[in-house]
Amino acid sequence: MDKNKHLESVIKTHQIAKEEQLLNKHRDKSKDVKESLEKEYGSNIYSPFNSGSYAKNTAINTKFDFDMIAPFKKNAFGSNGTLKDMYNNVYDFLYEKYKDEANVIKQKVSIGIEFFRDEEGDIVKIDVVPGRELNQDKYPDDENLNLYVYYKYGNYDAGSERIKTNVKAQINNIKDRATNEKDSIRKIIRLLKVWKGTKLNYPTKSFLLELITIKAFDNNDITGSLWDKLEAVMEYIRDEVTKENFTLKDPGNSSNDLIDTLTTSERQNFSNDMDNIINRIEDNDENIKTYFPENEKFIEEDNDDTYGDKGAGLFSIPPKNERFG
Amino acid sequence: MEKRLSQIQHLISELKGVSIEVPFSLDEHMNISGKVSVKIEELPDALEFDITILPEYPLKRFTTEAISFSNVDFLEYGHVMGNGNICIHTSHHPVLKNKIKIDFDSLKRWIWKYYYKKEKDTHYEHLIMQPSPFKNIHFSFLFTEVEYTFKKQEFGFFEYSKINDGTYFDKNILNHIVQNFRNPSNKIVVECKWSNHIKQVLRRNFGLYIFLKEPPVKSKKFIISNWSDLEPFVNEEFHKFLYDFQKNNRKTNGYPMPLLVGYNIPKKEIHWQVALLEIGNFPVESVKIKQKWGGQFVNESITWGITRNSSYDYFFGRGKLNTQITESKILIIGIGAIGSIVAKTLVKSGCTKVDIVDYDIKEPENVCRSEYSFFNGICNKTHELQNELITTSPFVDIRIMDQNFFQANTKFFPNEDSIKTNLQEKLKEYDIVIDCSTDNDLLYVFNDCKINKYINLSITNEAKELVCSVEPKSYSWTMNQYENVLDNDLENIHNPTGCWSPTFKASYNDINVLVQYAIKHINTKMLNKEPLRNFVVNTNSEKGFTIKLNEF
Repeated sequence: MDKNKHLESVIKTHQIAKEEQLLNKHRDKSKDVKESLEKEYGSNIYSPFNSGSYAKNTAINTKFDFDMIAPFKKNAFGSNGTLKDMYNNVYDFLYEKYKDEANVIKQKVSIGIEFFRDEEGDIVKIDVVPGRELNQDKYPDDENLNLYVYYKYGNYDAGSERIKTNVKAQINNIKDRATNEKDSIRKIIRLLKVWKGTKLNYPTKSFLLELITIKAFDNNDITGSLWDKLEAVMEYIRDEVTKENFTLKDPGNSSNDLIDTLTTSERQNFSNDMDNIINRIEDNDENIKTYFPENEKFIEEDNDDTYGDKGAGLFSIPPKNERFG
Repeated sequence: MEKRLSQIQHLISELKGVSIEVPFSLDEHMNISGKVSVKIEELPDALEFDITILPEYPLKRFTTEAISFSNVDFLEYGHVMGNGNICIHTSHHPVLKNKIKIDFDSLKRWIWKYYYKKEKDTHYEHLIMQPSPFKNIHFSFLFTEVEYTFKKQEFGFFEYSKINDGTYFDKNILNHIVQNFRNPSNKIVVECKWSNHIKQVLRRNFGLYIFLKEPPVKSKKFIISNWSDLEPFVNEEFHKFLYDFQKNNRKTNGYPMPLLVGYNIPKKEIHWQVALLEIGNFPVESVKIKQKWGGQFVNESITWGITRNSSYDYFFGRGKLNTQITESKILIIGIGAIGSIVAKTLVKSGCTKVDIVDYDIKEPENVCRSEYSFFNGICNKTHELQNELITTSPFVDIRIMDQNFFQANTKFFPNEDSIKTNLQEKLKEYDIVIDCSTDNDLLYVFNDCKINKYINLSITNEAKELVCSVEPKSYSWTMNQYENVLDNDLENIHNPTGCWSPTFKASYNDINVLVQYAIKHINTKMLNKEPLRNFVVNTNSEKGFTIKLNEF
């Protein structure tokens, strides 16, 4: 099979524009959440903004990362208010506001609002990330925020108040690279996100996949076909991610190391998974189909006539996909 | 044989520190015996031992050394059997001269360690006893844990069930399991911690028990052998209990009556021994002490039967799967060759909550590659396997799920969203669902279901590969393996009775080796707390047989 043709199809069938209806629903709900936060917190909040993959131009249509940063003023929760107070206050507000139409859940640094399935069967999910400026009224200048860690997150302990970041810098860094290098960085990020979507609760954040892809391109001469590039990035991850001195600097705060969001064993598993993908596809190209599946919803059907194909089964011979046990 | 006798005598006489006290002689069984004295540097005097050398020497008789060193004066020391034999385990050697040297060196080590240094082993050794038959038949009682603390000298009845009879060396044996303990008024005090199936075994009978707390021991490690030695451990109430019981059961005179004798051993465990009494002939007599009549044991040998602690930790003490698996509630869907082997393996490896489902009937031709038996004839696979599994482990509860469950919950209106929701809800009680049904429709429905841990197992024709899906999107991955990756050659299939019932070719050995490999892999990953990944076990028969597991 042609691996490159398949990967191009994976990207094509995962284009976010193909899910326009769902995209619009996310936009509408996102707008509603933003306005609700602004109304509730008034002058204590700066303008919430989207920070997810949609904002960074790296989105795929099987998982809409609609993350919303809610930047609060330093004294929004009292002069002695803690980040925990901020997190809990925002959770309580969102819970009361949306409990009848969504599941509102505490997540690692965000609060997830998962709206109930609508009449068309669509589910909209918005993750709200509360952040607080470092010094009163300084956010408009430095755009720095402190986040609250609700539960253990890689090497960040639960209750930690020490994630300081500049989300706008994060977004711009990735958005610029993904937009300018759309045939390399953007495609590889999207493919890795598609792969991540085949896993259950995989610990790597999309943000980490974005940063590590950029770093692979920055540190290696990655050229050739789409498969060549993808394989080179996966080899980079396989070889580098377990090294003790490996870092992934947060473009929003160089003292944040995103690799710290993974434990040592998670880094090892990440490396092992890359190794498995490379080896299994080397064993047989067909394995690429399940590591990087097309979005079946948007596959353009071939109308091949399979009459006479023994794989479809004959009267006395079972079909090829007959499993035994 | 004379040559062998003189050779042995000569070899022993040349050993350092060993003197022959009584010259060796040959008996009618070709055994060679004599007496030696053995001296070690640390002791002023030599120690004497009777020696018997069996014809097998320097090889073993079954698993026992064919040489024995014996002295009944040393019973109080460690590693001495009731007949005075020193318990030594020595190295194998096929050459007489070398073996004699090795065995005498072992004896000297025993003298140094247990006679001279008087060392005690840290691990607990059960009381030494030799079970005897009762009226030429052996009796055994298998017991398990109870959640109850017996008081010293507490007594009453116990209920037991008969399981299969057998042969024990050259005699018959009647085997039993202890079900519960009851007070003297016959009210249940505590049930034994067997599976529900075992608790439902009928063929019930009653025995007597007394809990001594202290072990009935003499010479530190030997169980008492005479009823009169038991007297200090019991009180008058127990004698009255025995007296009343015998008086009220005259109709059963001559029948055996087991008496469980319990005591504490380390780690807060209880051990039970069983003495066998004959109704109407209990080893007690009435005596008048201080103007009052009471009972006492007579001076007669005790017939000790056989007991075994078969509680979970002992039963699976030699090996089991990791607790993440054994403590899980497991559902196995499809119990053909793979499913029945998986079920048997899980149960033999310590799992206690296993449910099974299959709509199929077992036919004689299924037997050769699954865990079914010819003698059970034609019957539901589920019922036969349930029986097989509950007779394997006394701790497993096997439930049979309604055979229509998956048909009704997955295939009626398969595209309805509610199908998946219902299925998830109904399967949420299971920690692990193992699908060996090879049903592609079912796999498709499971594709997007959120089930705690879903494992799908199947093999290609001739068992060339085993395909195991453990991750989400199991349908897509598995279908891709069969349709595009693996060479599932279906030209050569087994087609016994016409074109509508073809099946794959593979023997029990072909299938089992792959299934065990897969279970071993899953167990290892879980033990190491590594995430499970889909995998294929590939085989190659080109140069001998090799197996390679590829993770995805």
